Amino acid sequence: MKRSILVAAMTMTTLAGAAAQERTKFEFWYGLTGDLGEVVANHCKLFNESQAKYEAVCTGQGGYDKAEQNTIAAYRAKQQPTIVQIYDAGTLNFMLSGAIYKANQFDKDYGLNVDWKSYFPGIANYYATTGGEMWSFPYNSSTAVFYWNKDAWAKIGKSEAPKTWAEFADDLKALKAAGVACGFALDGDTWMNLEQFSATNNIPIATQDNGYGGLSAELVFNKTPYVDHMKNYKAWLDQGYARIQTTQVGKNLVQAFADGSCASTITSIANHGTVKNTQVPDLKWDVAMIPVLDASKRTNSLVGGASLWVMQGKSKEEYEAAAAFLKYVTSPETGEKYIVKNTGYIPVTVKGFELLKSEGFYQDPKMAGREVAIASLTASAVGPNSRGIRLGNFTSIRSELRSELEAVFTGQKDVQAGLDAAVERGDQILRRYEQTYKGAALP
Amino acid sequence: MIERSPLLDLFTHLLLLASFVALLIPFWIVFVAASHDFHTVNQVPMPLWPGSSFFENMAVAWERGNFGRVMLNSFIVAGGVTLGKIVIAALSAFSIVYFKYRLRMVLFWLIFITLMLPLEVRIVPTYAVAADALRPFQSMIDLFGIGINLPEWNLLNSYSGLILPLVATATGTFLYRQFFLTVPDELAEAAKMDGAGAIRFFLEILLPLSRTNMAALATIMFVWSWNQYLWPLLVVTDQQNFATATMQLQKLIPGPLFGEPPVWNIAMAANLIVLAPPVLVTIVLQRWFVRGLMVTEK
Amino acid sequence: MEKRATFSNLWLAAAFIAPQMLLVFVFFYWPTGEALYWAVTLEPPFGGSNEWVGWLNFETVFSDPKYWNSVRISIAFASLATMLSLVIAAMLALFVDRRLPGHQLYKFTFFLPYALAAPSVGLAFRFIFSPDAGFVSAINRVWPNLWNPALDGWDAFLLIIFAQSWKMVGYNFIFFLAALQSIPRSVTEAGAMDGASVLRRMWDIQLPLIAPTLFFLIVINITDSFVDSFGIVDVTTSGGPARATDLMVYKIYFDGFEGKDYSLAAAQSIVLMLLIIALTFIQFRFIERRIHYS
Repeated sequence: MKRSILVAAMTMTTLAGAAAQERTKFEFWYGLTGDLGEVVANHCKLFNESQAKYEAVCTGQGGYDKAEQNTIAAYRAKQQPTIVQIYDAGTLNFMLSGAIYKANQFDKDYGLNVDWKSYFPGIANYYATTGGEMWSFPYNSSTAVFYWNKDAWAKIGKSEAPKTWAEFADDLKALKAAGVACGFALDGDTWMNLEQFSATNNIPIATQDNGYGGLSAELVFNKTPYVDHMKNYKAWLDQGYARIQTTQVGKNLVQAFADGSCASTITSIANHGTVKNTQVPDLKWDVAMIPVLDASKRTNSLVGGASLWVMQGKSKEEYEAAAAFLKYVTSPETGEKYIVKNTGYIPVTVKGFELLKSEGFYQDPKMAGREVAIASLTASAVGPNSRGIRLGNFTSIRSELRSELEAVFTGQKDVQAGLDAAVERGDQILRRYEQTYKGAALP
Repeated sequence: MIERSPLLDLFTHLLLLASFVALLIPFWIVFVAASHDFHTVNQVPMPLWPGSSFFENMAVAWERGNFGRVMLNSFIVAGGVTLGKIVIAALSAFSIVYFKYRLRMVLFWLIFITLMLPLEVRIVPTYAVAADALRPFQSMIDLFGIGINLPEWNLLNSYSGLILPLVATATGTFLYRQFFLTVPDELAEAAKMDGAGAIRFFLEILLPLSRTNMAALATIMFVWSWNQYLWPLLVVTDQQNFATATMQLQKLIPGPLFGEPPVWNIAMAANLIVLAPPVLVTIVLQRWFVRGLMVTEK
Repeated sequence: MEKRATFSNLWLAAAFIAPQMLLVFVFFYWPTGEALYWAVTLEPPFGGSNEWVGWLNFETVFSDPKYWNSVRISIAFASLATMLSLVIAAMLALFVDRRLPGHQLYKFTFFLPYALAAPSVGLAFRFIFSPDAGFVSAINRVWPNLWNPALDGWDAFLLIIFAQSWKMVGYNFIFFLAALQSIPRSVTEAGAMDGASVLRRMWDIQLPLIAPTLFFLIVINITDSFVDSFGIVDVTTSGGPARATDLMVYKIYFDGFEGKDYSLAAAQSIVLMLLIIALTFIQFRFIERRIHYS
């Protein structure tokens, strides 16, 4: 009796195994980690359960930067995955790599029927070539928003978030006077400090339309109102209005805001859920669009996050499987809705946004406020300064600026000197990049 | 000692005891941190006495760091490197010491130079062949215009990729050479007289004589290769299947991007798991370890 | 160094040495050549065509103040960590060598830190010296913001020096102790007869006699601090804050693999290799002379 059960069980596992083997497998690498990584892993699982023909083998690479590094290493060894999730800053590297299967071409060849027009212009433009072609599939997207503590602002008699940086400066002063120990949590991250600030105020970061015009772009952020903006940051730190909060000093921006120790911060809308889940119980807070210099001239903020790239050199079968997967994870119903509901990320297409709205998603008190991100992304028509950033080796430029900002904020360097140094180093990086890809035209 | 000096003796005792505490206290703190729950470990000042969550933390760390798999990987890599070094170095040292040919000093120096340049220093060059280790030969074949295509030999995500570049240094060769030079010439002469060839002399006389040195080399190489960090970091992209134990340490401190506070109790528990094998090896095989240190570096 | 009884079967000799030469060739000499090629061209991250640029990469490296900053930091790190651990180790060895009751225990425990992987040491020290949790944070309770390696470059630099010297003390200790124990007892006893005190004898007799070991250890420590520091830096400070702990090996890794500029990293790698070779040769020569004439 026992034996026959055993035999039956074995036969069944073999059968199941055989059935599983018939599925076409392909590899998908992603960069998200922690809870967000779990969400991606689960997305794969849902896809695999949704049909019986294909199987996505999904591997977390332990970080966005690692995902890019590992893909490069693997490509050189001809071991690349079929699909990889690459963050915003890696876009140009992949465009020029010659290692990718262009998304719009892939869409045509494998019949995905993507409605490219439906992407929010702020998102589409960021990932599109200069000629407007989409070479990757936007996946998880966010933008920066202003997180503010309503109780703290109530202490200074205000019930609305500041609209301009000048107003915010006054608020900080008042907050300090009202006994708030830390009015604003900041760090050296350039995505919030430089990129969003420049985009929303229609200020260039580099010449040539932030690089969309060609690889010869040069950085200019040491000569724009950004310098004064950083001088303000430094002054706020000195006057005790603001505080540096990073994981290294103990609490990062999100934690410092969620436990009520800092009254405001600027960070990704993707952290909306994290704040909700980790906040101290009685914290009353909301999100708003980040302050600008002139409230009447606000331009759209930049998208952050990552897109999905299809790599060259795989078999037709794998591409068919990949096509099914991409269709699944980018469609409003099974893709966008899943990501938006399980994380703080925002829908990337108008269709997805409408779908969520029609289902009353933004009425849910837990989710209320998230539409601010969409409002911020669509605050204006996309202009040359708010289109995006198309600079070579931009991750290295970011890290140059970040380490200069660290030095500036801790008082080792003057603001102007720090930014000058970052621009000089950044330009060197751009020139090396231009020379490395000499002869390659910017798509 | 001939004279007695109670005051100095007292000072000596105090100094050594203080150093003893100072040198071992990091171990103690790691252990204590690994035994408390998340809340307690983040208290300032931290408790200096162990708490009750030790096994719980160990279990979480074991799970989170995928240690079931990565410890196995580390054992395979460390074992492979150790074995590889012992065998290959013995062979090459034998060739250099006991054979007479014109190139031998050149070869000795070619091997010796690698001794000065540990993997970390030449990490970029080594990485250059990671994609295809046979490319050197392919390039040479191409150079001579012969139309042979070698298969590609990719080192990424493979045990051979983790092991072979670590074997390719001269530590062992140098050690064996020093030892072989102290072996009396009469032994080889006697063997020759008995009609024994080089191979028999090597296997039946030289190797048994080298047992002590082999054990010492093995101990030190095991610890050394277990502790490798930078090379696995570059050559492993398939973290699930090929990560080694030391690689997991960086991962257990959450990055600044996704806003979790550092879970020190788990990180320290993981650290205990990673450091246990080399520390146990040095404690149990202390004699060989110390001997290994002395002979490999001279 | 020549053996009287040598074998003469050339094929056998070649077969014996072949595996080692093969490994050294494939994983050392050929890659070094390839790195040289990268260093005089611009290697795109995904591979493909590279263009000859001559000395450009080296010029970029040498004209970069951040590179010299990294060199300065590396040298300061190497000398300070070496000095600290050597002084402590020598002192411990001298006193353990007095062989008072219990000295066996010390002999047994002092070298334990050396068995740890550099990232293990780094992780432990990052916790112990963390500004807001762990052991040292208590200082900040008394004097707020006195210690913060996350923001203060000096603190971060000190942190990696402590970690490196802690790891090396045990290693140095073993060698010093061995050297002390190889000094014939009669020598120190003669000193005692002359009425020299214990401390006097340590200074005048024992220390000079272990000088060769000291020089040998300097070489090993400096090389190790150039090499093994990667694991410590990567886990504790990631080169920051504001590049205060951007050691050469870490910079190579960062520029090459994070910054995806293989050519720049290759040029730095070659400079570092030459530096280490030069260092070793200079020190070997220097040491040999010292030993012969002292």
